[in-house]
Amino acid sequence: MKIVKTQLLVGVAVLTIALGMSCRIDAAVVSQQELQAKMAYCKTCHGIDGRGFRGFYPIPRLAGQQVKYIENQLHAFIEHRRTNNIMFNVAHVLTPEMLTALATNFHELNPEPLGGMGGVSTNPAGEGKKIFEEGIPSANVPPCATCHGAEAKGNEDFPRLAGQLNDYIFAKLKNWSSERGQVPGNPDNSAMMEPIAHGLTDAQIRAVAAYVSNLR
Amino acid sequence: MPCTEQPVNSTWFSHTVPCRKAGRRPIPKTGWLLAMHISVVGVVLSGTGQAAAQAEPRSGLAAKIAYCKDCHGASAQGYRGYFPIPRLAGQQPEYLENQLHAFIERRRANSIMFSVAHVLNPAMVKELAAYFRGLKAKPVGGAPSGQIAAGRKIFENGVPEANVAACAACHGPNAVGNGQIPRLAGQLYPYVVKELTNWSKERGQIPSKPDPSMIMEPVAHSLTRPQVDAVAAYVSSLD
Repeated sequence: MKIVKTQLLVGVAVLTIALGMSCRIDAAVVSQQELQAKMAYCKTCHGIDGRGFRGFYPIPRLAGQQVKYIENQLHAFIEHRRTNNIMFNVAHVLTPEMLTALATNFHELNPEPLGGMGGVSTNPAGEGKKIFEEGIPSANVPPCATCHGAEAKGNEDFPRLAGQLNDYIFAKLKNWSSERGQVPGNPDNSAMMEPIAHGLTDAQIRAVAAYVSNLR
Repeated sequence: MPCTEQPVNSTWFSHTVPCRKAGRRPIPKTGWLLAMHISVVGVVLSGTGQAAAQAEPRSGLAAKIAYCKDCHGASAQGYRGYFPIPRLAGQQPEYLENQLHAFIERRRANSIMFSVAHVLNPAMVKELAAYFRGLKAKPVGGAPSGQIAAGRKIFENGVPEANVAACAACHGPNAVGNGQIPRLAGQLYPYVVKELTNWSKERGQIPSKPDPSMIMEPVAHSLTRPQVDAVAAYVSSLD
């Protein structure tokens, strides 16, 4: 009888350890169901296939975006380095695993650019292409392609711009210093774009935004 | 030409004569030059004032507008009939046009609105939408005020744990909407509740012809009834 009891105890103990381990594994892995629900949630505002959407604000394309960049931005929202009340609220509840899973999933999407001008009138796209590829040496604006790539696909920390909403790009470049790098004691790589955003005129921003917004 | 408070033509500068009140004070002789200047400025100002005022609708349109207002209220502020009848005042024209077409094509289920809308030609749909956009009206009110604070929180922040997006992202921080996204400010509390609780039964009723209503479907489903009530109370209180 005593042996049976001991065996039972050992059995319970093993089961408990096993269950405990499987729970820990579950916490680290994002279930497909949870991920799909969260993806659908993001797409409510970021559009079908993450191609961006014009709500009250132009809401950016996430499709094809660099994983690292999306992760960085979500952390920036959470830490208030990037100001956006709506994105703070949605981002701060994400687990690190979910955050990475979302970034990876959006990176893999590849819809057509949303298109449309979003009320931003533009100069001929030729001027935007020139700025993107050659910069404006006289104003100390480097070629965008240096960091964002010849096809504007970005690379890790550097965001993809291809297919991004032109009105979104316009708003970001215009507001750079009031939205990014908002915690002076915790500087981030948004500082890199600051002099460039300031060096561009409105007309130049419109031109370059129109150019990249049509890239696939 | 009689004086007109409203332009009789849709172009603001034509056929307008500023009204003069009878029995005004005589102007001293020395002040004539000044008075003439004031008068010129007055004409110009009254002209600009009329530009901002609503253009007098044409007869066919005027009759149709009066017809809409029978149910939607004298200032299109909305009305509690047997059903809550929505506010149209200040609504986004693109949204109104989309909805009228949705009723006509039966993508949005509402037999009353189908009946009244399917006789409208596309030009009339556009003119009606533009007219209602220009109206301003105080919110009807009447929502339970105890829920407004909770509703505001949902409107501004969403319910991230339940995958409910912040309403403000698309409807704007003041709920005035933009383009195809409707204004919610001042909308009738029971109407907002009814739409959110019936979304999938009323909107997007032709699966082969999806429309922007699909964006709201998961949002409407993810809100609990108390959350719907709260957010409806909040937007209904916005002027």
